[in-house]
Amino acid sequence: MRTFLISRVLQLLVTFWVIVTVLFFLFRLGLPDPTLALISEGLSPDDRQRVIAQFGLDLPLWQQYLVYLQNLATGELGMSFHYKAPVGDIVFERLANTLILMLPAILLAYGFGATVGTVLAWRRGSRLEGVGITAGLVLRSAPVFWTGMLAIFLFGITLAWLPTSGMRTLPYEETTWIGRVTTWDFLWHLVLPMLVIAAYYFALPMLIMRNTMLELIGEDFIEFCRARGFSERRTMYRHTARNALLPVVTQAAVTTGLAVGGQVVVEVVFSWPGLGREMFQAVRTSDYPVAQASFVMLASMVLVLNFLVDILYSKLDPRVTHAAAKG
Amino acid sequence: MRSLPRLLWRTIRNDTLATTGLVILAGMIIIALFAPLIATHDPDRENTRVEGVAVHFDGQRWHPADVIGDTPLYGVALASPERGFAVGFEGTVAELAADVWSIVDMDVAVDLRGVDTADGTTIAVGDGGLALHHAGANGAGWQSVDTGADGDLNAVAVASPQHALAVGERGLVLRWDGHAWQRLDSGTVRDLHAVTLIDDSSGFVAGDRGTLLRYDGETFEELEALGFRDLYAIDALDEQTVLAVGERGTILANLDGDWREMRGPESRDLRDVRLLDATSAITVGTHGVVMRLADGEWVNEDTGYGETLRGLATADGHLVAVGTDPFVDRLASPSRDHFFGTTHLGRDIFSQTIHGARTALLVGLLAAFMVVMIGTNVGLIAGYFKGYTGSFLMRFVDVMYALPFEPFALVLVLIFRPSLTIIVLAIGLLTWRTTARIIRSQVLSISERPFVKAAKVAGASHWRILYVHIAPNVLPLAFLQLAVAMAFAITAEATLSFLGLGPPQLHSWGSVLHEARLSGAWRAAWWWIIPPGIFIMLTVVSTFFIARALEVLTNPRLARRS
Repeated sequence: MRTFLISRVLQLLVTFWVIVTVLFFLFRLGLPDPTLALISEGLSPDDRQRVIAQFGLDLPLWQQYLVYLQNLATGELGMSFHYKAPVGDIVFERLANTLILMLPAILLAYGFGATVGTVLAWRRGSRLEGVGITAGLVLRSAPVFWTGMLAIFLFGITLAWLPTSGMRTLPYEETTWIGRVTTWDFLWHLVLPMLVIAAYYFALPMLIMRNTMLELIGEDFIEFCRARGFSERRTMYRHTARNALLPVVTQAAVTTGLAVGGQVVVEVVFSWPGLGREMFQAVRTSDYPVAQASFVMLASMVLVLNFLVDILYSKLDPRVTHAAAKG
Repeated sequence: MRSLPRLLWRTIRNDTLATTGLVILAGMIIIALFAPLIATHDPDRENTRVEGVAVHFDGQRWHPADVIGDTPLYGVALASPERGFAVGFEGTVAELAADVWSIVDMDVAVDLRGVDTADGTTIAVGDGGLALHHAGANGAGWQSVDTGADGDLNAVAVASPQHALAVGERGLVLRWDGHAWQRLDSGTVRDLHAVTLIDDSSGFVAGDRGTLLRYDGETFEELEALGFRDLYAIDALDEQTVLAVGERGTILANLDGDWREMRGPESRDLRDVRLLDATSAITVGTHGVVMRLADGEWVNEDTGYGETLRGLATADGHLVAVGTDPFVDRLASPSRDHFFGTTHLGRDIFSQTIHGARTALLVGLLAAFMVVMIGTNVGLIAGYFKGYTGSFLMRFVDVMYALPFEPFALVLVLIFRPSLTIIVLAIGLLTWRTTARIIRSQVLSISERPFVKAAKVAGASHWRILYVHIAPNVLPLAFLQLAVAMAFAITAEATLSFLGLGPPQLHSWGSVLHEARLSGAWRAAWWWIIPPGIFIMLTVVSTFFIARALEVLTNPRLARRS
């Protein structure tokens, strides 16, 4: 187990290194001198010299690369062109905003999806199953930004039940992040984007749950439960569903990584001040330091969650040997 | 190998959902191929709408605009509040009788520019010196009367059945004496736009560059010009009560014996004016401008109508204004002309959606092929060469898994320019990772099978074993991945275009929604956001349906369950 862990951590670090390296060269390729972009923003020559020194932009490319790695390792992410503030502060707050939206949404989608999936497997072959599967596929095929727009149109504008943008009603007086997110106003703003995201992710756990359940239903231990005279409900929920949860939990972690790292578009539609939207705006305003740091942050979220999935999987499923997991 | 297409076909045919999916997908492909034929409009054109309208004022309030036909109206005359005439584009003539406007069928192709009525005689004039007379009660209907002139006539004033005056381009003036039209010398060569008669022996004419003429029954006297702006309309109650209006809000008034210039709150072109009494008047103009003169001040009046009004007539306190010019058909709701309505720029959403099918399917197919080509080959090689090559490739796949899609595409767009190529590359370069993993695990088990070992023993080369013996066995799986990748690629393209990362001149379902969001107008126009989304959904769900059937083909364990 320990060797497995060590090898996975090493792998994690190597992957991270590859990503930041590729990112460095991609950005240098597109923008040989980042300070030129700053000059148009009114950067004085003195400040420019300071930035050049800080990021070693006057050094040869390989030395610049080393300075970049060193800055990254010490958490020095530079200054935002747009906000004129340290990138690190911005990015971490945005990441927290993203997590507080995505985590409840995914929890909701997976809890609800797994439950419905169990029902579908239990009622296999019925009309309900056909309707459920078709509805799930249709729901999954609707692009999330579009369902978001529809939800805003219906609940935000036509019925005017829920707020449609941002995290809270302005102006607000709270200055701490915790203070801001522990208000009713915040929860009120959370409802619509959370439900839209949950609706989008709901179908996948439902289908996985159903498929796994169906595979399990033919297994001996389920037959044994029936033979012992357990009720169908007990057989389904206590025994089959429990065993079918593993792939759902795995998928949940993978989805969380992808959702935290990848749902730029939901945040844009709902004007949610998360990391994805921040990166989107950084790209639009050519705020390279923020775009770069956001990307690193998003990629690390995916990496870490994938890493946790592997660990979790090897813990939960005794059939997975560490040797096999390596291969 | 030869039977693979037939196998795929049979698998899809035997599954109702998959057949539905195939039909929808085929429909989308046909739409994409024949998009220019199916689209009803040029998706980039700012569509305009033309209609003739009459806006009534009943002495108390303005009524909603009455649409009379589909051609603009240029002039209107009222005999009484219940009886009137309107003329317009290409010989359009409409009559008001008992509160209802109806179009009269005329055999006239030229534009009619003015109409006036008095004591049962109505005269309409138009291009090419055309004059149409209507003698009311004796039921003769409309009759063309030869004027002997071939210049365009712009306006007519009827004082009595025996006296009318028509004016037109280059100083053209014609007089009607009850029997025939006769040309008079106006003393000017400017285009004349308006005429009004007080009685048989007095009247005024207005025209280009501030031209104002007084008429005394026989001759014209040019008044000193007050400005250089064109005058479009004039009305007079007597010699000392005259109002003329023209371009850019020009108002010239003689209300107390002296000519002077007045200003209203609007500086748009004013097209017609009517005096109601010695101190009050109404003027109408472009963009639905209506101003009322009361207590020496012009004030805006809201009629609820926003397009150009060209003609105005009054009778017993009732008013009627007619229009319009062609106007941009903004945010029109779905109709027979625009199935899905129009955008805030008057563009046809149906045509944009139809053209969007091309982008979606082009990107979907190209990216899906790229994904499957890369993914299958990587999977094959990594599965067959299990040593360092396989390890290295799979570590590479692991790295790819850490790249979140939307941010990755954002970085590509930031560094390069937004283009279709970037979108295809972003999708293609990133999403082959799943295909590679799936194909590899299949190859791992296939390469343990006896026929692969037999081929090895027979001396076949590695590449031959890989591509001749193993590859055909993973083809159904590759097809499944093709369907899955296509669904992903179409959604991804829509997402990137929605974020505005697509090439700006290209129509795509995502870019239609992007424009809707950018304009902010979608909050009122539901027809703008629903169709593109439905098209995305239909296309994606059709590939999901097909993929489900293929899944059974590649995983026999699934087949047993159903």
